[in-house]
Amino acid sequence: MTAAAPTPGYPPDAVLRDQLSNLRGLLLFAVLMTECDDEGQITHLATSSIPSLGTARLRALYIEGSGWQALDGPRAEPALSQLEAQLHSLDGVGGPVRIPGDAWAWAFALGGRTGSFLVVGAAVEPSTENRFLLQVLAQETGVALANARLHAQERATAKRLEETLGALQRSMDIHKRLTQVAVRCEGQEGLAQAIHELTGYPVAIEDRYGNLRAWAGPDRTEPYPKDPAPKREQLLRRLIREARPSRDGNRLVALARPRGDLLGVIALVDPGGDCGEHERVALEHGATILAMELARLRSLSEAELRLRRDLVESLLDGTDDETVQSRAQGLGYDLGRSHRVVIAEGRGRTRDDDVFFQAVRRASLDLSVGTLMVARKGAVLVLASQEVPWEEFRQAVLRELGGGRCRLGVGGLCERPADFARSHREAELTLRMEDACSRADRASSFDDLGVYRLFCELPDLGAVERFVRERLGGLLDYDRRKHSDLVRTLTLFLEHGGNYIATAEALFVHPSTLKYRLQRIRDLTGYDLNNPDTRFSLQLSTRAWQMVRARREEEVPPPAPGAGRRAPTC
Amino acid sequence: MMVDLGIPGLKAAQGDHICAFYRGLRDRDRVLIPYLRAGLAAGDKCLCVVDATDPESVLAELRCDLDVDRRVAAHQLDVLASQHTYLDGGAFRTDRMIEFWDEAVSSALCEDGVSFVRAVGEMTWALRDVPGVDELVGYESRLNRFLPLYPQVILCLYDLERFSGELILDILKTHPKILVRGTVTENPYYLEPEEFLATRR
Repeated sequence: MTAAAPTPGYPPDAVLRDQLSNLRGLLLFAVLMTECDDEGQITHLATSSIPSLGTARLRALYIEGSGWQALDGPRAEPALSQLEAQLHSLDGVGGPVRIPGDAWAWAFALGGRTGSFLVVGAAVEPSTENRFLLQVLAQETGVALANARLHAQERATAKRLEETLGALQRSMDIHKRLTQVAVRCEGQEGLAQAIHELTGYPVAIEDRYGNLRAWAGPDRTEPYPKDPAPKREQLLRRLIREARPSRDGNRLVALARPRGDLLGVIALVDPGGDCGEHERVALEHGATILAMELARLRSLSEAELRLRRDLVESLLDGTDDETVQSRAQGLGYDLGRSHRVVIAEGRGRTRDDDVFFQAVRRASLDLSVGTLMVARKGAVLVLASQEVPWEEFRQAVLRELGGGRCRLGVGGLCERPADFARSHREAELTLRMEDACSRADRASSFDDLGVYRLFCELPDLGAVERFVRERLGGLLDYDRRKHSDLVRTLTLFLEHGGNYIATAEALFVHPSTLKYRLQRIRDLTGYDLNNPDTRFSLQLSTRAWQMVRARREEEVPPPAPGAGRRAPTC
Repeated sequence: MMVDLGIPGLKAAQGDHICAFYRGLRDRDRVLIPYLRAGLAAGDKCLCVVDATDPESVLAELRCDLDVDRRVAAHQLDVLASQHTYLDGGAFRTDRMIEFWDEAVSSALCEDGVSFVRAVGEMTWALRDVPGVDELVGYESRLNRFLPLYPQVILCLYDLERFSGELILDILKTHPKILVRGTVTENPYYLEPEEFLATRR
């Protein structure tokens, strides 16, 4: 067909109609190729139609940037290289090329694609009409390929946009659900449940030490496994370094670190390692909400602690007004109950005041002693609302400390807020009496001070001092002049009921030394230490002397923190 | 007389030989099924030859809303496979196929009491490696002579995803009408059978 010259039996106008029919066919091709998004189909349709357009045959289709797409001629590498060089020299507009074996060869520039060509060859040069048809075909092919590529780019862009929108939508869903958790104050349980619903994976929330705080989803292990502290710390350090959700065994883990404080951990249990970006995003959002929740709880806890501390300080200062009552009510604390001020002094194996405070707090909670307490320079003041065996309380503190030292001074009963200051003073005085008497660590109550308590409650300390001077003045003066220890020797001798051995041991001296000192006392005072009346009078005097010393100390600033026990000076 | 092709707005004249281009099976059925439905609704004899699927799949598609079995039993609808028609005996022969249409159409008009026949043939059989398939374009050209003999219309279905550009151009030249993308266009320059066959000599 496609004759350049009429064939015998070929109607005269048939050449023209064949040509027009070809043109019409190419127009249809333009439609078909333009609506086609598959570059392969376009090139197939174009290159396979060439035989219908005359004697020329396809040699090659060259697409700039993609290289040779269809070849039906010069397949050898050198020939292709030569042809490519010729195409580059055509400057994008098309023109004749040399192909071995073809008398005529032409590179038709593809429309809309600079540097791309449809290369055809023939044994004889095709007619002008047929060359025009080939030019049209090349033009349409180029436009269709450009169109397909644009469509592909559009589709790719649309797909990326769709993916981005999908990710955004998922992120919004996560954000919405987790915001709900925060707004409704669903707590750590609610948060774990929300993350489980969003991801489908079991979720664990742990404190920084690995203790489980919340769980959602199936397959919870009982008992909940907990890593040793060094391993846990190693994991936390790694997570801090990586600053994003990371794998830890069969889990994907993220940290809750409000303002840099590591408060907790949230984990997706994913043994198959299948967690994708969606799950990571959910976990990261969850970690943020957890950080907010834990920061809120810490803030509340700190605020409550501060309020409790302020309340205790006010009570110990003797404040007794409506604000104290209302603050106590605000904290849910009943001040209407009877209280005592208990002072716990001591320390654990390490000199860490917080360790001692926590030990007292736990013992106090365990024995329901009281919930209001405050730390003060090596001591903890507890407002005890329960009467308990105080020595048991002291032993409980020691157990919590795991060793170390502790002694308790228990003040008198408080029936109203104004009494706390007095009970506080009594507790302090009790401890000072313990010092004055060189007693070992124990729990002592103001109520049990006996005669000491009687002296303490006397308003005129001067009368007591005069009483002491009348009986012990000589010995006190002697001790002061000679730096001796006769008053203390006499005190311990009387406190031990006149037992020489026990007294010597208490004084850390040899019994002979004790006998010498007692003889010196007899010589200086003329007292008969075997006379019961004299012994009663002297014991009353030595106790009064201890009380006077303790009350005088009350009037001067307390000793420096950590000073511990004073050296016995009796 | 104008014939409803079943696609909204598309009609054909008696004696039309239309080549319909489509892409893939779903696109084929968008042309084929409405064409047969419209024919059955009009009381026409419908002759259908399919190649890419078996006849039953076409019948199943029609069965959704038509009493197909009754129409098949009444010989109003014949859906046949290409191997029993175009490629009967394992080869294609133009004369035999023209005779097949002649016999089928005349028989329908004379014996089945219908006044119009609409035929449709899926042409992908021509892509097989069997003797005679190179007669395809010549056959299409011969059909142009056969169409005016009876009150009929025939639709030739060509899958653009499978036929080469060369064959499509030749098909375009030999069909007076083209159905593509839901539009029927006339080809005023189409070559009469003798002319096309002359170009082939």
